[in-house]
Amino acid sequence: MSKLGSSSLLQLLLLLTTFLLAVEQAAAKTVTYDFNVTWVTANPDGMTERKIIGVNGQWPLPVIEVDKGDRLIVNMYNGLGDKNATIHFHGMFQNTTSNMDGPSMVTQCPIPPGQNFTYDFTVNQNGTYWYHCHTDFCYPDGYRQALIVHDKDAYFNDEYEEEFTVTLSDWYHEFVEDIQFLSLYNPTGAEPIPDSFLFNDTQRSSLPVKPNTTYLIRLINIGAFVAQYFYIEDHTFRIVEIDGVYVDAAEADTLYIAVAQRYSILVTTKNSTDKNYPIVTVADSDLLDVIPTHLQLNNTNWLEYNADRPHPDAVMHVDLSDELVPFDDITLVPHDRMELLPEPDFEINVTVSMNNLDNGFGYAFLNDISYTAPKVPTIYTVMSAGELATNSEIYGEFTHPMVLEHNDVVQLVLNNGDSGSHPFHLHGHNFQVIDRAPPFGPHFNDYLSGDPVPFNPSNHSAFPAFPARRDVFVLPPQGYFVIRFVADNPGVWLFHCHIDWHLSQGLAMVLIEAPLKIQETTHIPQQHYDVCQAGGIAYKGNAAADTQDFTDLDGQNKQVKSLPSGFTARGIVALVFSCISAFLGMGFIVVYGLSTPLVPPEKQEIDTSDVASIHDGPVPVTVGVQHTVEPASPYRD
Amino acid sequence: MPNVFGVQVFFIVFRECLEAVIVVSVLLSFLKQSLGQPHQDQAIYKRLVRQVWAGSLVGVLIALIIGGAFIGVFYGLGHDLWSESEDLWEGIFYLIASIIITIMGLAILRINKTKEKWRIKIAQALVAKSKKEGNRNWLGDWGRRYTMFLLPLITTLREGLEAVVFVGGVSLGLPATAFPIPVVTGLLAGLLVGYVLYRGGNAMTIQYFLIASTCILYLLAAGMFSKAVWSFQFWQFQEKVGADVAEAGDGPGSYNIRETVWHVNCCNPEIDNGWDVFNSLLGWQNSATYGSVISYNVYWIAIMLAISGMLYEERKGSLPFQKAFHRSFFSFVGKIPGLRRYAARKLEASSQNAAHIVSQVDADMLAHGVAQRPLAEK
Repeated sequence: MSKLGSSSLLQLLLLLTTFLLAVEQAAAKTVTYDFNVTWVTANPDGMTERKIIGVNGQWPLPVIEVDKGDRLIVNMYNGLGDKNATIHFHGMFQNTTSNMDGPSMVTQCPIPPGQNFTYDFTVNQNGTYWYHCHTDFCYPDGYRQALIVHDKDAYFNDEYEEEFTVTLSDWYHEFVEDIQFLSLYNPTGAEPIPDSFLFNDTQRSSLPVKPNTTYLIRLINIGAFVAQYFYIEDHTFRIVEIDGVYVDAAEADTLYIAVAQRYSILVTTKNSTDKNYPIVTVADSDLLDVIPTHLQLNNTNWLEYNADRPHPDAVMHVDLSDELVPFDDITLVPHDRMELLPEPDFEINVTVSMNNLDNGFGYAFLNDISYTAPKVPTIYTVMSAGELATNSEIYGEFTHPMVLEHNDVVQLVLNNGDSGSHPFHLHGHNFQVIDRAPPFGPHFNDYLSGDPVPFNPSNHSAFPAFPARRDVFVLPPQGYFVIRFVADNPGVWLFHCHIDWHLSQGLAMVLIEAPLKIQETTHIPQQHYDVCQAGGIAYKGNAAADTQDFTDLDGQNKQVKSLPSGFTARGIVALVFSCISAFLGMGFIVVYGLSTPLVPPEKQEIDTSDVASIHDGPVPVTVGVQHTVEPASPYRD
Repeated sequence: MPNVFGVQVFFIVFRECLEAVIVVSVLLSFLKQSLGQPHQDQAIYKRLVRQVWAGSLVGVLIALIIGGAFIGVFYGLGHDLWSESEDLWEGIFYLIASIIITIMGLAILRINKTKEKWRIKIAQALVAKSKKEGNRNWLGDWGRRYTMFLLPLITTLREGLEAVVFVGGVSLGLPATAFPIPVVTGLLAGLLVGYVLYRGGNAMTIQYFLIASTCILYLLAAGMFSKAVWSFQFWQFQEKVGADVAEAGDGPGSYNIRETVWHVNCCNPEIDNGWDVFNSLLGWQNSATYGSVISYNVYWIAIMLAISGMLYEERKGSLPFQKAFHRSFFSFVGKIPGLRRYAARKLEASSQNAAHIVSQVDADMLAHGVAQRPLAEK
């Protein structure tokens, strides 16, 4: 071929590359946030000024906003000085970037004070998400905020003019770490009662609206514990998105938003500006063991048509929150019409329970395993285990590991042996919700009156043809739910109750999805290992940090022993000693009782006196020892 | 099943009743030996006997009235106050009860000694009266005339009130339903044993009975002592936990694992029927703590030591060093101006011959003031 030919080809190639790059740049940009995480003070409920985890000196934290397809980079610096932290981007699939997911000791080491950590991943999804700290006892101190992925192709884009993001949250006045939750003195594991509830990290706020206009409101419960009911007085709305999944618009008046759940709703305003309407949020008081008198369960914010008109407080029509009837999310139909997944290749069937272990603390269990963090973050075990990564044993008994094969259809049956409801979250996926009992609504607490009802595979309600998908689903008290998903996202994913207290009690398990694929597709930056080193945490080896023999789990972290049942050795010893001392003591009493007063010589005297008293009237009636004095009496004869 | 038999109530009523019966019987035998002989004035004798009985009955009656009012007020006012922190109060009640039982319990075994003690006391009282002949006044005269009425009245009243106070103290934690049956049966048993004693029945049988009942009494007291410690600990635990403990039943969370020696998830005396009997008799707990086990054993060791000491005292006349201490103490007191006479009396009393006092009691004293003309002036 000629020189010319080759050079023109090169030119063409160059041109093509430039063009492609330009297209790429227009469609997907890189969004970078620098997070200097430090302590700040704030007083969001007007009751107590407290220390809060802030970003770049500010709180509320910045809302992360990206467009679908963007690359998101968050450079986090832990400037807290006394507390580890991480960030979990809730709902992000983290395809090929499982190591950016955020839960400490699962996909990374906790970031110690003074360390940098860069989260870097591509957002190929749309909708409403949030981010929060994912180490023990961290995000209720304020480290949580919305993450919005805008989508120019959303089917409802033309239906609204403006959008609002609304975060709901419970709020504590004490540091989470200072609240003695896992404690000998909290044997029932009663969850700490929040001090107040926030709406966009404040209270009694207003969303200014124009009449006759449709708004998109993105609702996110960024709380740590309490689910909230949501409604707007005299308004209905249409649900168009749940947890990042577009759904066919469904008319509703009341929502039940558990922690970590999201709803996007379209609200069309009225044709008049006479009145402002209360937006009412009501905390689910069924979750609270006690309701302190000062705790305001229902809170009012306003759909503000006219700032000059009065802002009336909500008028409550129910005595208890569970009398409200929320929309049942399982009935929603995904807009993409994804069909019910076929019969599963792999099933996980676990039961929630709560109990005390030997230290007197209350713990939570999935099939009697209370999640106990391994010595090496699970993803690093995957990366260092080679072929053995498919052996679930190496991840440790108490991380409750399940190894999933690539592209398997997985069905997860979750039964609830506990009397509380639990919002369960699966990292790295959204899942089809195919069955739940009892359903949301007036019968939600029905199973509480009897024994827990587990899922019965041979007798259940028909699964929907196009099941709703979400990433947080509420497990009813003593009931069950069934979900399905395809294991098409290699990574290490935590499945856990999103009530932060329950997570700290171990209500979690870890799914290791296509471990060999993880090794192929995931690249772990050196910085992540540096963070481990700075924190003194091993990043190679099995759950026991054994790098030589991965199947040897000696020294792995274990859950606390079970409570001894009945009599242990020391109980028997104690009981025997108590019996011996009781018998010895009674022996002494017997000896004392039989001694002196009835010594033989006197006893003889008694006998004679008895005879005398019967036969000779005048002889005084006496018994026992007094005869020793009697002879001296002048009346003796 | 409601608690209808407070065992501790039974024993206290029994014991106090027995003591009153003994006093009355001592008085009656004094009368019989001094005045009841065939050659003496039967009218005076019978009158005096009637006085003794009347006195005892009036005493019992007054005691019952005061006691009833006492317990009524007690239950009317008290229970609401205590229900707030039940375990704390229960602990205090059990502690009081166990101390009361411990102190009075062994005395039952020396009930014969009690009889002797009363003989001397009564004799002393009679002798003292007749000595005070000189300063006669209206009241003294009246008192002398009705000695045989007043003595049993005061005795039964005293024992009755003692019983009320003790029963009150021992049974603060019990419901009102736990009273009637043990009070009645305790009275009956006391009267019966007292009568048998008076009639001079088989002393050995009585002694066996007393030994057995004392053993039960101390089992009770040991259990109560242990239960008192347990209640204090549980109260502390409950204070820190809040209301949740009560809700936890007997399963995990209902007890402090760090203090637990054994725990069985059943047989909770406060919930499960039947086990409350073991609880009140033996101090059974389904959740034993170090405190409750150790206190139970310590209690018995203390009892053994106390009995050893008492046995030693009975055999040798005093505890080691006690006599020497007694003397030196009162001779020291005697050196303090103003207390000399008191000390002298104490020193004298200890060496006084009991038999001598009893021998001074004579018909004159007993009948004194009863006949138209005082016998002494005859």
